[in-house]
Amino acid sequence: MSPMTERPRDDYWLSLEHLARDPELCARIRDEFPGYDPAALAEMPRRRFLRLMGGAMALAGLTLSGCRRYPAERLAPHARRPEERVPGALERYATGFEIDGATTGLLVTTHDGRPIKIEGNPLHPDSLGATDGITQATVLDLYDPDRSRWPVEMTAAGERRRRGWDQFDHFAGAHFRALRALGGGGLAFLCGRSTSPTSLAMRARLREVFPRCRWYEHEPFDAAARIEGSRLAFGRALRPIYRLHRAAVIAAIDADLFGSHPAKLRHASEWAAARKPEAGRMNRLWSIESELSITGSVADHRLAQRPGRIEAIVQELARRLAVAGVTDAVPLDDRETRFVDRLAADLRVAGAASLITVGDAAAPRVHELAHRINAALGALGQTVEFVEEPAREAGTIAELAREIESRSVETLVILDGNPGFDAPADLGLAAHIGRVPTTIRLGLYDDETSALCTWHVPRAHFLESWSDGRAWDGAVSIGQPLILPLHDGRTDAELLAGLAGDATRSGYDLVRRTARDVIPHEEGDAAFERAWRRALHDGVVERTAWPRVEPELVGAARSTASEVAVAEGATGRLDVVFRRDPRLHDGRFANNAWLQETPDPMTKVTWDNPALLSVRDAGRLGVRTGDVVRVSVDDRSVELPVFVLPGQPEGVLGVRLGSGRAAAGRIGNGVGFDAYPLRTSATLAFAGNATVESTGRRYDLASTQDHHVMDTFARQATEKRVGPRGESGKVVREVTPADFGGDAGLGDGEASVPRADGHDRARIFDPPSQFNEPHAWGMTIDMSSCIGCNACVTACQAENNIPVVGKEEVARNREMHWIRIDRYFKGDPESDESPDVVHQPVMCVHCENAPCEQVCPVAATVHDTEGLNTMVYNRCIGTRYCANNCPYKVRRFNYFDYHSKEPGEPARPWAGMPDSQQLISVDEVKRMVFNPDVTVRMRGVMEKCTYCVQRIQRARIDRRRRGEEIRDGDIVTACQQVCPTQAIVFGDIGDPDSRVRALQESPRAYPVLEELGVRPRTLHLAKARNPAKVDFEP
Amino acid sequence: MQPASGTRRFVFPRWANYLLPAIVIVGAGAGLYIPVLLGLAGSPRTTDVGYAPVQPVAFSHATHAGRLGIDCAYCHNTVFEAAYAAIPPTQTCLNCHAAIQAEHSEILKVRESAVTGMPIEWVRVHNLPDHAYFDHSAHVNKGIGCVSCHGRIDRMEIVAQAEPLSMGWCLECHREPERFLRPVEEVTNMAWEPPDGDQLALGRRLKELYEIREPRYMSSCTRCHR
Repeated sequence: MSPMTERPRDDYWLSLEHLARDPELCARIRDEFPGYDPAALAEMPRRRFLRLMGGAMALAGLTLSGCRRYPAERLAPHARRPEERVPGALERYATGFEIDGATTGLLVTTHDGRPIKIEGNPLHPDSLGATDGITQATVLDLYDPDRSRWPVEMTAAGERRRRGWDQFDHFAGAHFRALRALGGGGLAFLCGRSTSPTSLAMRARLREVFPRCRWYEHEPFDAAARIEGSRLAFGRALRPIYRLHRAAVIAAIDADLFGSHPAKLRHASEWAAARKPEAGRMNRLWSIESELSITGSVADHRLAQRPGRIEAIVQELARRLAVAGVTDAVPLDDRETRFVDRLAADLRVAGAASLITVGDAAAPRVHELAHRINAALGALGQTVEFVEEPAREAGTIAELAREIESRSVETLVILDGNPGFDAPADLGLAAHIGRVPTTIRLGLYDDETSALCTWHVPRAHFLESWSDGRAWDGAVSIGQPLILPLHDGRTDAELLAGLAGDATRSGYDLVRRTARDVIPHEEGDAAFERAWRRALHDGVVERTAWPRVEPELVGAARSTASEVAVAEGATGRLDVVFRRDPRLHDGRFANNAWLQETPDPMTKVTWDNPALLSVRDAGRLGVRTGDVVRVSVDDRSVELPVFVLPGQPEGVLGVRLGSGRAAAGRIGNGVGFDAYPLRTSATLAFAGNATVESTGRRYDLASTQDHHVMDTFARQATEKRVGPRGESGKVVREVTPADFGGDAGLGDGEASVPRADGHDRARIFDPPSQFNEPHAWGMTIDMSSCIGCNACVTACQAENNIPVVGKEEVARNREMHWIRIDRYFKGDPESDESPDVVHQPVMCVHCENAPCEQVCPVAATVHDTEGLNTMVYNRCIGTRYCANNCPYKVRRFNYFDYHSKEPGEPARPWAGMPDSQQLISVDEVKRMVFNPDVTVRMRGVMEKCTYCVQRIQRARIDRRRRGEEIRDGDIVTACQQVCPTQAIVFGDIGDPDSRVRALQESPRAYPVLEELGVRPRTLHLAKARNPAKVDFEP
Repeated sequence: MQPASGTRRFVFPRWANYLLPAIVIVGAGAGLYIPVLLGLAGSPRTTDVGYAPVQPVAFSHATHAGRLGIDCAYCHNTVFEAAYAAIPPTQTCLNCHAAIQAEHSEILKVRESAVTGMPIEWVRVHNLPDHAYFDHSAHVNKGIGCVSCHGRIDRMEIVAQAEPLSMGWCLECHREPERFLRPVEEVTNMAWEPPDGDQLALGRRLKELYEIREPRYMSSCTRCHR
């Protein structure tokens, strides 16, 4: 079956087990405590239980705990309050966060000097107001108690001793004075990729002081192939800047445009903006990839293929589109041919409104061909612009390894990064670093690399640092600190200034000094001061993006038919594709519990990084999800658990790097599996010819994909009432090309979908209230725009003080995220075709006729007059009836006092009655991350999405105290604010002019589980797909 | 106790004879215990009315707000724009006390704070439960006077809690705000009385003027709890 013929019209399913109606899964869904051994409960005899409980109650009564005044609190006002500072008021400052050599502009919310929440900077070109999940979670890193707090020196005997900064400065002063006399001979620096003007200026300064020093750069995921590809096409290093909103047809070739590209937020925003069926705009996304990325998951057509075939496919595509020099046909298999036929035809029609994008992992020649195809289609300057790639005046880590081997490095300074963990395995860098006489490591954590070095010194977190950086297109932003360094860390520039012996050492002075050259301003100090202040305020400096260049192709493409023609299928060997973990990046965020517990966008696995295997390969190897396999490439091998993922290309074992850290901290140590040992300098993107064999062992994976299932049992009951499945009972609805264009109907080919009226007619009682006094809050979630990136999940966690529960508890369905993104598949998992994927974010939909409220014995969940289904924490007695009765399965229960739990220790059991819990203190540093506007829930209470009631109240009070009324757009929920595609819209559905009202009236809007008649306030917008026309003939 | 064969008639054991007096004694005890418990629950000792901790500096509101007539918002200057009425920074004290009574032993403590930059650590008197979110600006801008919650601060040498600050007490006003409303210009006036003595009539007018909503809305959980 081709992707273009009629798609199977059957149901969506959450997992292979769900599709097969696996009895084990059914039992899990039925269980109240899934994965919990009832024998463990039976160990506590009933009589003993009653005795304990009785005793506890008597003790609670004895201490008259309810009648005690709270502990005395002290109020410490400023001695001298800074001008315009209002205690307790939230303030926002612009700053920036650099990762992968590109800086994203941020607005950080601080509360009395504590940064508590990160938002995107709407003015910044790479943010546009959004952020990704990792950036959201960096605020937790700031308060991580495991961060390095002091310098550590390794003594000659190999012992690591705590030192002070003064001791380090004393050592470094003497050491680098001596080096200066040698002109820096034997001095080497290793740092990450950076385009920060101050970092580059410091590098130049160090070269001045130590003329013979050498610099090396290392990023585990490098862009060397991309740069090489642009050299092949244009004769120089250029950086493509994609403008997705101008493209009608986009082909992503192993390119995770929305997941791992430095400009992913802008890409997602531009892509979604051109994908509004109501507005008559709908682009088409084609994806050819060797993994299942979130970009591929939202593509209209997707071809999953081994990485080695991609060059052949692209070459054939180039030939069809008459790219000069590509003449020889390459043999493609049927599936590839069909795909290329359609894609070529679609691109030809779209012409200059086409865009071919290529991911960094693809081979240089693929990049080259893509540039040539874009040129042939006339897309250069239209959908893709170019800037000069910033020069990289640094060696590679392989060169550094060689230098160390030849004993020409005496002193090595490692700035951030973690090469001891993530360097290519063949370099043996860990052993090499140990051989250098003096090694100094500046790091946020005392980690694997620090353990190898003679000195470790603590680095300042970016929220503690003065910094600057450049966006993907070069726009400069200045990063201001939001808090003084908690643990006395220094920034890279501060450390380097110290090593150079400069008098100017403060981060502020260093950044400001570079800013004079970088920020355009008129002559004079006053003019610079104005420009500087403006840069700080705006977070991005105008007119600093690199100039666009109009490149000319050089030469012609070569046909390399003979090289790529070798079909690799059916050898029985797999390609191992290495990708960064979508949650942990390259491993640097492994100690971040928010990120560890975020479900992977596709597998929904938390706290692990299983190897991904296609259904067919799994069948061939005789393994299933959870089996541990040994993966061997040449003489290297690792053992990994397997996850069988529909949509994973056949013949490809997908490996996510970054887990399995040994020295990440208490959260990240030993979580997941380290696959870096498989990866060598020659196989950075993928390693062919791997053998995979089952070890016969099993491993427990905590995947949330089958948690909180909305249908299965509830649906069986509703089918009796409202007819067979697949009609109004559909949880996921889609619109197809036939439906939009003209009067858009909706639903699977049907003209429209029955709206709420049909079910309302049957009601016996009038609703108790309209819940619209004076506003009626509501939300829409556009499943066409949702890319499943998880940013909202983490943003919600940060905003609402949501605890982390750990892998064991996740395995028992006890994850606490208020938002879950249900990822559904559709299609036959055994077939060649890539399954359709839908991401459906689900949080409390605030039913007007809420089933949870009707079963609460203590009225702990009630409606307010504006339609919020509220949770009254201090009334809740923890019966969990509400969660049972919630058809959407969005209520979360605090089984333990998760916040006060220390990582690695068991959750607090019976001990600690509610009163003493108040006295169990959460670690001083850890609790600084809490949002003071949101109650920190304790053990035994239910919680769920509140529509960010604290934001509603804040916006309302801000307006009302000035005598104004709240306006549309005043209230932005945390999930809405972070969403790069603006898939979530919140507002007053009673206001005829509000955005949310307009969206709720869209023909695509529908209430999930409409047949229950609970009248949810959150409506989902049906998923719109835009497949190429079915009747097309090439 | 009975053998398995035979009549199987149930006979109360002998100790059951003591049950009746035991029940009487427990009943009488409960009769005493429950009123005491309920009484304690509502007593000022529990609700903290009258809580007046010793403060690090013997600052007298009676002198400043009462005798000298300094407006509340001179020191608590964020009250109209923020959730917190902000304890004033040391600098505010020294606006006057740099010259006035500069050598007074209590003022020396204040000056010490100004010199060292270390805050004076006041003891919090009015403390709401953690799950209640009170916003001063929302109240004073709508005509709730300081005195309604804090009592006659202008007569207190040491600040004491005047009202129970319990949820029931909050709701008294949220349900019937007209009983307490006053013109916004008068919110910091401790001694204000309705001009013609008719609080209810004025209150109803002000309620309309300030667009204060109906009790159903005003007593929704989400007004105060988040």
